[in-house]
Amino acid sequence: MNPRALAAWSLSGITIALATGNPVYRVLVLLGAVNVLVALRRPDVSLRGLGIALVVAGFIATAITTLASHTGDHAFLVLPQAIPVLGGPLTVEAAFFGASTGLGIAAAVLAAAPLSLVLMPNSLVDALPSALARTGAAIGTALNLIPGIARSATEIRDAQRMRGWRSRRVREWPDLAVPVVLTALESSITLAEAMEARGYGSGARTHYGEIVWRRADIAVCVIAPAAAVVFVALRLAGVIADWYPFPDLSVPPINVFGVMCCLAIAIPALVWRR
Amino acid sequence: MMSGSVASLEHFTYRYPGGANDALDIGELHIDDGLTVVAGASGSGKSSLLRVFNGLVPHFHGGTVGGSAEVCGHDVIATATRVLATRVGFVFQDPELQSVYPTVERDVAFGLENIAMQPRAMMQRVTEGLERTGIAHLRDRAVTTLSGGERQRLALAGVLAMRPRMLVLDEPLSQLDDDGARSVVSILATLARAGTAVVVAEHRLDQLGSIDGRMLAVEDGRVVEGSAKSARRGGDAQAFRAPSHAVSTNVAAWELQDVAAGPARTPILEGISLTGRAGEVVALVGPNGGGKTTLLRTIAGLLAPCTGHVDRAAGRIAFLPQNPMALLHRATVAAEVAWTVRGDPPSADAAMLLGELGLTSLAARDPRDLSTGERQRAAIAAVLAGAPRIALLDEPTRGMDDAARDALVNAIRRMRAAGSSIVIATHDRNLVAALADRTIAVGAGSARELAPVAVA
Repeated sequence: MNPRALAAWSLSGITIALATGNPVYRVLVLLGAVNVLVALRRPDVSLRGLGIALVVAGFIATAITTLASHTGDHAFLVLPQAIPVLGGPLTVEAAFFGASTGLGIAAAVLAAAPLSLVLMPNSLVDALPSALARTGAAIGTALNLIPGIARSATEIRDAQRMRGWRSRRVREWPDLAVPVVLTALESSITLAEAMEARGYGSGARTHYGEIVWRRADIAVCVIAPAAAVVFVALRLAGVIADWYPFPDLSVPPINVFGVMCCLAIAIPALVWRR
Repeated sequence: MMSGSVASLEHFTYRYPGGANDALDIGELHIDDGLTVVAGASGSGKSSLLRVFNGLVPHFHGGTVGGSAEVCGHDVIATATRVLATRVGFVFQDPELQSVYPTVERDVAFGLENIAMQPRAMMQRVTEGLERTGIAHLRDRAVTTLSGGERQRLALAGVLAMRPRMLVLDEPLSQLDDDGARSVVSILATLARAGTAVVVAEHRLDQLGSIDGRMLAVEDGRVVEGSAKSARRGGDAQAFRAPSHAVSTNVAAWELQDVAAGPARTPILEGISLTGRAGEVVALVGPNGGGKTTLLRTIAGLLAPCTGHVDRAAGRIAFLPQNPMALLHRATVAAEVAWTVRGDPPSADAAMLLGELGLTSLAARDPRDLSTGERQRAAIAAVLAGAPRIALLDEPTRGMDDAARDALVNAIRRMRAAGSSIVIATHDRNLVAALADRTIAVGAGSARELAPVAVA
């Protein structure tokens, strides 16, 4: 798949998810993004961590809004007013609004996730315009250093433990942090030296493997942004109504064009194959 | 400047920024086609000399240069490294720190991308580089899944894809097992015979014994013409063999009982039952990735066994990791050693160890300013200080010259005589011959004791 087309798709998904507070559209974007991730993620990638993080984020958004809002007609619990910030009625409306906010965050994150979970880390960097090619190569290289630094941090921690270092003593933390930072810097310098020795910075760069535009890429690159543009336009025109649960909880309004725009976000799962 | 040579240095001097003395002071040096081996003690200036050939000295490292240096028709002082990169390929010591991209094929292409080669031609060159180094079958693999030998061949493939006129390698064998080293040496022999100028700095000269070439020695920044044969002390491991000083007491210092162990609770070793005794040196040998480090970490207690039991005698356990920089973070070598024994009663042991390892003159230096071999010795001094009950050393002779290795052998013999139990994971056959009371081959998920070698 073409990384530029996937970037356009991601941007479209994020735009729709954040352009409305209506949980129906947000759920549709979220499901479309999940569909793409499940169908196209790299074989070495697990979605478990991301899923857990999003559930936690959604729960926190719901909890904070419920505890701090105190707006709405249907209270299910009243906390004593003496409790700063939290004191007052906890309402069903605030809980739903918080959940909708969490849905928006999850949908936006899931729409961005394929950039790192579907593409190889350097693919997106390669897709940068030629004016940014050298910067992109440097970013890609820096990304490649991260696993090495993590391994080196473990090695340093183990080596220091064997010399009597104890993680419970705060005053001994520099004995771990300093060598980790110094080793990371040294690794970066060595890598920079290796890059220089291989001609990095000698002028214009090319990329291994051309970025090819296939019909499916073009379809994604046209349909997803078009859906986002139409959605935002209809939203601004008032055709797609937003949802606001206060003061009284109501069923979110649904517009068929809005639904179609959101469903278009699932298109990569239909036209791309891993 | 003489013509005809691939590289020529005349009255060339180089001093690092802030350096008190010249790191290089070369009257005249010419490098021609074929193999040139550069030997010399740690810190003698080998790496600095190699970096002159592709301009990393002075362009990357800065400093002051004098005289002239010409490589492949380019004035090194006036030509940037990135320009010389099209003519001079450079392979660094640590294969892990020269991969730029996460996949093999892509990493080989990095240099070609930098010279703006068109994608179609680039693909041919990548294939050529992979085939010349015998790793075409690894084309789609993630770099992190490769063994040390495979990673070094990957680095070589990336350089060969550029079709360099001159190939420079800085201790390319130091982290490789025998098979990995042999495969790299075989590639270098082929290149040298085909007319490429190949310059190799290496301590493991026995591994280069199969190639005819010229020998240079670097001593305090000066280059001396030498004989390859005379410098190849290795290869005849018996030269290192000394009368056994084993004082094994039959007192178990550590014991593994039916242990399965591996990173992330995934066993790569199973059914391991071993005992190490006080006053004994055990050598762990075997291929890269075979599990030697895992076994050491399990004995050390850094890795909990998946199944089975590990017992250790009371007392301090010293552990030397493969990367000496994991240990060195104090301002001076002496402070580094003192930190290890900070809770112990004052003793002359640390100072003696520094002297034994030839570090007395370096005691006030920052460990990170030292050469690779010197850093390794500093790290060894840092972990062995304070008479540990058990000492676990992972590739302790990496980057060491013969003199440093001899010093290490003496220090370990002294510790053995004092009753320490020492376990060494190593590819260094000479070290095994000099020290090991028992040798254990680790690989293919198991560990088996090898029969003792008779002393001639």
